[in-house]
Amino acid sequence: MKDERVLAQCNLFGILGAIPMLLELDPAARRLVKKKKISIGFAVKDGPRATLAFENGNAELTEGVEKCSIKLPFASCQKFNGMIDGTVTPIPTVGIWHAGFLLGPFKKLTDLLTKYLRPSPEDLADPVFFERSTTLMLHVIAGAIAEIGNHDKIGRFSASNIVNGTVKIGIGEELAVGIRVKEHQLTALHYAPEESLSEMIFDSFETARDLFDGKINAIAAVGLGNVRIAGMISQVDNINRILDRVALYLQ
Amino acid sequence: MHKINDYTKSREAFARAVKVIPSGIYGHQGPAEGCYVPVEAFPLFSSRAQGSYLWDLDGNRFIDYMCAYGPNILGYHDPDVDEAAAQQRAISDCTTLPNTKMIDFADLLVDTVASADWAFFAKNGNDVTTLAVMTARAYTHRKKIVFFKGYYHGVAPWTQKIDYAGVIEEDVAHNIYVEWNNFEQLQEVFETYKGEIAAVISQPYMHGNFADNVLPAYGFWQRVRNLCTEQGAVLIVDDVRAGFRLDLAGSDHYFGFEADLICFCKALANGYNVSALCGKDFLKNTVSSMSYTGSYWLSAVPFAAGIACIEKMKRLNLPKLLIEKGTLLKRGLEEVAQKHGYDLRVTGVPSLFYLRLADDPSLRLHQAWIAECVKRGVFFTNHHNHFINAALTEEDIRETVEIADEAFAALGDRMED
Repeated sequence: MKDERVLAQCNLFGILGAIPMLLELDPAARRLVKKKKISIGFAVKDGPRATLAFENGNAELTEGVEKCSIKLPFASCQKFNGMIDGTVTPIPTVGIWHAGFLLGPFKKLTDLLTKYLRPSPEDLADPVFFERSTTLMLHVIAGAIAEIGNHDKIGRFSASNIVNGTVKIGIGEELAVGIRVKEHQLTALHYAPEESLSEMIFDSFETARDLFDGKINAIAAVGLGNVRIAGMISQVDNINRILDRVALYLQ
Repeated sequence: MHKINDYTKSREAFARAVKVIPSGIYGHQGPAEGCYVPVEAFPLFSSRAQGSYLWDLDGNRFIDYMCAYGPNILGYHDPDVDEAAAQQRAISDCTTLPNTKMIDFADLLVDTVASADWAFFAKNGNDVTTLAVMTARAYTHRKKIVFFKGYYHGVAPWTQKIDYAGVIEEDVAHNIYVEWNNFEQLQEVFETYKGEIAAVISQPYMHGNFADNVLPAYGFWQRVRNLCTEQGAVLIVDDVRAGFRLDLAGSDHYFGFEADLICFCKALANGYNVSALCGKDFLKNTVSSMSYTGSYWLSAVPFAAGIACIEKMKRLNLPKLLIEKGTLLKRGLEEVAQKHGYDLRVTGVPSLFYLRLADDPSLRLHQAWIAECVKRGVFFTNHHNHFINAALTEEDIRETVEIADEAFAALGDRMED
């Protein structure tokens, strides 16, 4: 069963948390916010609060809404999740004069993100798009793993069985993210960790994509050598249990 | 120097398997759950087995320390067990009315296992751990079951955890988890759930995966036994994995206490498929009243094999023999590790030893060493306890230590690169 609070955490820190990476990957996305210095605070009642700040074509997501130029309040996690679904239009309480940014560049940016995260088969046929889309998915998944491991009832049970240390999740040697575990609290690392206690490495973008899309099974892929696991396997095992729930929340 | 194995045919077979079998090889014998790291170091399918050896599809021979994850206790194709099974097969096996071999086998178990007043037969360990828990609940009319963390009692939903695929919250709602060897915590749990605990279920010592194995603390089992008796809870020993490798009278007997219910499988019939729940007289009527059976549970061939296996184990005083062989191996491995400057921990009872290279907390070094051993013909696995069988010779042990030596040398060379 989905918990609206957990979904809001995933939407904010997983989905919107991928916007900084989108700007790094796609020059078109970067152009949309090239000359903007503006920040959007998402304040969800009984839910997560974070600010997405844009400057010089880059973006950063930080917890809290104390320093934002636009503040979007949401009466509930459900309302915030509705915004991500496109069924709720939020009204800013602070920075109403920046509405043009929300309706213009930010809307285009989130549409572009959706295009990458829910791609059409035609778009995926383009190798550049394919790689960017898969990269973004990896980052979204890392963010969602951390949120589910910290907030979801069953995810917390999995997290309670994970020993301290970082799990590296990568694609070949080119790309990796990490999940740092400390006292059963999970933090997503949107970069390749220098050291890890365990690892799960997909041999190619194609393998990663097929796994994310549920076309192949991770257990079979380990046997075939398309997915490599090493180190403290119990960490990988428990992260995989959380990963199962990522599909539930982000499908 | 031993040759490095090639696994071309195993790989081809696996590629064929994944097309028609979920995950290719499911469960503990599969490369993912079996922690075959890196997978290229391990064979995936066998072609034949004899004594303490296993041959893979590519013709590589392995000294097999997994023993089919326990069932092979006398050696693959033990002639006495196979002969008894063949003779029974010529008479009858799976029939409408059971054969009296079933009574003979139950008689033998009651005579052999210290805490057994009766025996109930099934096929797998999971069948009898599940029956044990159902029996405890039926007898006590209580719901809650206490487990020791790190346990493994099978794959039925009640044995799994809330985050396992296909398990729902209600399946494990009455499971309570406490730390192994922590009697005070167990006592607290009994206080918190006064009158609600049906049973404590445990392996005879902590031989879970991914961690050094831990024997019971002095007096632990005796205190647990007394607490269960005082609180009216059933004490279940899951001897599926350790059974007959510590003590033919049961691992509870080895550790000086008596279980109310004790579960056997693996080594019970040297590979013939049968499991048994044995128990105290006061639980016999409860089991009698339960609806619990299976298509092949009363087949006679495994009973005949089980009788021959137990009789031979008795003749050989097998647990003592296996512990001696395990101790010899343990010493050899520790010495060779020390020679190369590695800190190899060999834990658990030597007939059921667990290996860990303690030099690297990530266990990558351990995995690399195990891989080098497997590539040279010693079948170890990374994070599961191992098993000794009666057919293992001193020459096998010597060869194992020799391969372990070469594996450490390969590791050393690699570290210097």
